[in-house]
Amino acid sequence: MRLCHCLFVAGVLLTLGLSAQNRQILYDFNEIPQSLSVNPGVETDFKWYAGVPLLSGISGYAGSNAISINDIFANDGIDINLKFRERALDVLTPKDEFSSTVQIEYLSGGFRSVNPNIFYSFGGYLELDNISYWPQDYAYLLFDGNADQLGRRYDLGDLKVRGSLVNVFHFGINKKIDRNLTIGARGKLYSAIADYSSSTNNGHLSTTEGQNNRIATNLNADLLLRTSGLQVLEEANDAETLGNEIISRALLGGDLGLGVDLGFTYHLSERTTVTGSLLDVGFIYHTSDPKKYRLKGNTSVEGIEIDILDNFASLDRDFWQDLVDEIEEAVPFETDTKSYISFRPTKLYASIRNDFGEPIGNGGSQSCDCTTGSSGGGELRTKYRNSVGGQLYMINRPRGPQTALTGFYTRRIGNVLALKGTYTIDKFSKTNIGLGMNLQAGPVNFYVMADNLFSYNNIAATNYASFQLGFNVISWGRK
Amino acid sequence: MRKGVRILLIVLVGLLLVTSCSEEQDFDQINDLAIAPSYETSIFYVKAQEPLINSIEDLSFFTQEFNFDAFEEPFFANRVLAGVLTYELENTTSKPIEIRLEFLDENENVLDTEVFSMDAAPTAILQREVAYGPSGKSIDIIKATSEMRLTAINLGDHSSESTLQDPAIVLRSSAEFTLELQ
Repeated sequence: MRLCHCLFVAGVLLTLGLSAQNRQILYDFNEIPQSLSVNPGVETDFKWYAGVPLLSGISGYAGSNAISINDIFANDGIDINLKFRERALDVLTPKDEFSSTVQIEYLSGGFRSVNPNIFYSFGGYLELDNISYWPQDYAYLLFDGNADQLGRRYDLGDLKVRGSLVNVFHFGINKKIDRNLTIGARGKLYSAIADYSSSTNNGHLSTTEGQNNRIATNLNADLLLRTSGLQVLEEANDAETLGNEIISRALLGGDLGLGVDLGFTYHLSERTTVTGSLLDVGFIYHTSDPKKYRLKGNTSVEGIEIDILDNFASLDRDFWQDLVDEIEEAVPFETDTKSYISFRPTKLYASIRNDFGEPIGNGGSQSCDCTTGSSGGGELRTKYRNSVGGQLYMINRPRGPQTALTGFYTRRIGNVLALKGTYTIDKFSKTNIGLGMNLQAGPVNFYVMADNLFSYNNIAATNYASFQLGFNVISWGRK
Repeated sequence: MRKGVRILLIVLVGLLLVTSCSEEQDFDQINDLAIAPSYETSIFYVKAQEPLINSIEDLSFFTQEFNFDAFEEPFFANRVLAGVLTYELENTTSKPIEIRLEFLDENENVLDTEVFSMDAAPTAILQREVAYGPSGKSIDIIKATSEMRLTAINLGDHSSESTLQDPAIVLRSSAEFTLELQ
């Protein structure tokens, strides 16, 4: 009972916890240094910046495209069993997902090279990422069972989950090639603390009319669960050394991997700009505590079958145990500790932006020398008060790529404030309005952004919510 | 100045939206969620051919105890609420047959007995459903069953042969159980 309780709470809440996240507000918001994290090829105008440790970038997101916490847990007097059946069991499909990400940047900084066209950035962050799809047929088996379902095939491929807790060290180079083109690349070193995935499952379970007996139970299974770090963490928890173990695994004592981010900004004209980035093209090699659990095989069972004539000489044998042995031989459950590779959830961003309105920095209200590209000493590119454009976001997921489209408007007010509003459409929401604010008070930079704002009047009823905030100290190297 | 106020208002609206509320949630409802699925599967199948029955001169031509640990498994025994065992008996032999099925505990004490009597062929298939739990016999019978004893008695002669193809007495069975998982 406790196990079921825990599994349910974990399934519904943990996955709804909190960045394989679409950070559409931060993207191309180049007043904020952390915009480098979503496009290493963004145009920067900083001499240097330093993120406030643990506060330079915190972001989280939780999403479920088809159900909200409020749907199940609202204190509305309706029996939870009725709510669960009508709003989850009979509605959700294996395409419906529960996903969450939390990213905490604990180190962030950047500085301009002697060559003013080159900007270096570095840092580290922790990322917790989970995604699971609604395991429809497993849910039916769990809540209804297989009784009176002769001929129905329960799809064992409905189980697709993946998650990881990873510490990431990164170092990036951003280079202004010419007046129109800026490119960037960032190398990443992953140190995985924990990882699990079960996303390649196949097979079915069914009951049919038996050949000899009343019912034949048919199992065709190819199920695989891979984990790494979970057992070590569990043992450390038992030994009350969990904190030390997490820190050890985060600081290159876990499973290591490599990745790269790539990006660019290109001006098609004075006011029209395209950008693009490809993030987390990388892998982690799980060697420190890998476990694989596999159930693979094919069998059809009609219970204990005794043909007395055929078995006359061996009627004293243990037919039950023989049946169990036959099933275990036909569908063996195997474990091994071989290393394995997992690939990071790669993300793609692209945007087109049109600037308009009064230029700032040249007669505008801007009072510093922070016009884009200025620190490089190269030719200055004029910034404008307003920008409008569209963005594309894609991420690879176990059931294929997920896409989001965003329209945005950015308003710059002097050198102090920049606001960006977004409208995003994706599988989670068609009414996702987001707002980001960047506040520059002298060298101190503060930003905050959140999306799906209309849902905040009842946050529990939302299918999607995310937030980001951070503090930085920025220098433009005044001349 | 007015511009500043406007900006401040925008920021405040944003913050208000961000810090807005939630309807009251009651996460304790999870304790009321009932998970009680019903599963069905075949239990056992026994077939005794007529030539075999004829070859044994005793009244009881077959007596055998079978180990049956399925019901005793803690996962099952601790969660089973109710169940129905369904039997199908088919007799295509030329003699009346009696089948006695006994449920035994670990010490071989008889917990329950089902007796099936079948006339000689031609006769219809006998189907019987036996309920355990609130609407039937005690579910404790199922929980405590460790073995089954099957006894088959020939109530006819030892020489006649049915004209039907592959004459035999066949016992088929399946079970449907409801488990309380939460």
